[in-house]
Amino acid sequence: MIGTASDLFAATGSPFLAATIDPMPSSELAGYLVVSGVLFALGLCGFLLRRNMIVMFLCTELMFQAAALAFIAFGRFHQDVSGQVFVIFILTIAAAEAALALGLVVLLYRWQDTLSAEAWTELHE
Amino acid sequence: MTPTLLYLTCLLGAVGLYLLVRPTDGMAPAAWRGMRTLGLVLGLGAFAWLATGIADAVAPADGGGGPGAFTVIFGLVAVVSAVRMISTGKPVYAALHFVLVILASAGMFLMLEAEFMAFALIIVYAGAILITYIFVLMLSQQSPDPDDPEGQSEYDRTPREPAAGALVAFLLLALLTRTVSDGVAQATPRLDATEARIEAWQELEGMPGRLERWVERLDDASLAAPLLARGEDGRPMVEPSADGLTATVLVHPAPGETPIAVEMPADLRPENVQRVGLGLIVKFPASLEIAGVILLMAMFGAVLLARRQIELTEDEKRQAAGLEPLGEYEPRPDARDRRPNGGEATA
Repeated sequence: MIGTASDLFAATGSPFLAATIDPMPSSELAGYLVVSGVLFALGLCGFLLRRNMIVMFLCTELMFQAAALAFIAFGRFHQDVSGQVFVIFILTIAAAEAALALGLVVLLYRWQDTLSAEAWTELHE
Repeated sequence: MTPTLLYLTCLLGAVGLYLLVRPTDGMAPAAWRGMRTLGLVLGLGAFAWLATGIADAVAPADGGGGPGAFTVIFGLVAVVSAVRMISTGKPVYAALHFVLVILASAGMFLMLEAEFMAFALIIVYAGAILITYIFVLMLSQQSPDPDDPEGQSEYDRTPREPAAGALVAFLLLALLTRTVSDGVAQATPRLDATEARIEAWQELEGMPGRLERWVERLDDASLAAPLLARGEDGRPMVEPSADGLTATVLVHPAPGETPIAVEMPADLRPENVQRVGLGLIVKFPASLEIAGVILLMAMFGAVLLARRQIELTEDEKRQAAGLEPLGEYEPRPDARDRRPNGGEATA
């Protein structure tokens, strides 16, 4: 009988929502960690490269994302939900950061009429 | 994978990244396209070599087959769209490529059996945060530059220091992948499968309401009026079997009678969402409160930052208060004489 989403996934033979808790091989963990590392390096590279303030903040979000992936992968490897709980906090911080940073960007844009980060190399009035 | 090979692979990826992000001003379209293709091939090749090389180096330790097909697909999508995100000169495209990174990450979360986080990620990130970004991008749209056919502004078109950026990315990536390739082979999971199942069953003791609802609906002739038994600390008493596949809980057959052990169905074992919720409340209550405070403060901050300053004149303030406007201000002829220094300007 299909009652819950997990029954549905089990009926369709999908690997998702498996009923058993299987250990994760560490080679699989290594794969996720490499993806996470590459995403983090790309985020840092983008933060240094781009000159548009909004895109720079997007790149910090990419770094958050890489960290979240590593948290979830380690949480799965160690069978610990703390990794997922930390990702909830990462989402919270990312949302707070987006709200504040974008408010700031809108303010700065009204002031100087450009999104270039170099317009703000001198912060005095 | 030897360290030298690892560093060389990272360097190859950095070269590919540099070719993808370097400015293309004044290049012929054919040369530009060739360079991009070469960069993409180099970067992707380096990434694939890195991932498979490290997974292979670790695999003999555990006999695992390495990442599954879905993981490879999602990982490739995430990395390719992240590269596109930082190499494109159009902010809106960057935001849309980031949505793709989010979707691929959510796919990887599903593969890691973190279903709740996968969908929360899509809803919160792709649904809320990215919409805010795109909103702000549209709010602060530049007037198109007449010199540029694609209407991009100068600071979007030319990246700052592409070689230095690629070098920093290479250094960081080399450090991270070296740590992964050395460390993961020695990593041992905190729990094996049986212990993990037993721990999941034991978490049921923190969810008495769930057990009570199940006990109420128990349909068993030997249990006339079943009632969940509580231990001395008020928690239900769950006893997992040795292999963790089943578990029993103590139930009074009728109020006042000696409790007996009743076997629970396998689907009563807490699933991912329930375990995350319990972990959030039980293990990190203070962090949860602080996260709420941070969100509130961010909301205040954003409102304060983004409000528009409106300068009201004296007349407008009086009108808003329902008073007569003052009219044009005219100093009286004798006003100067009342000031201490007789109205003369001091240096």
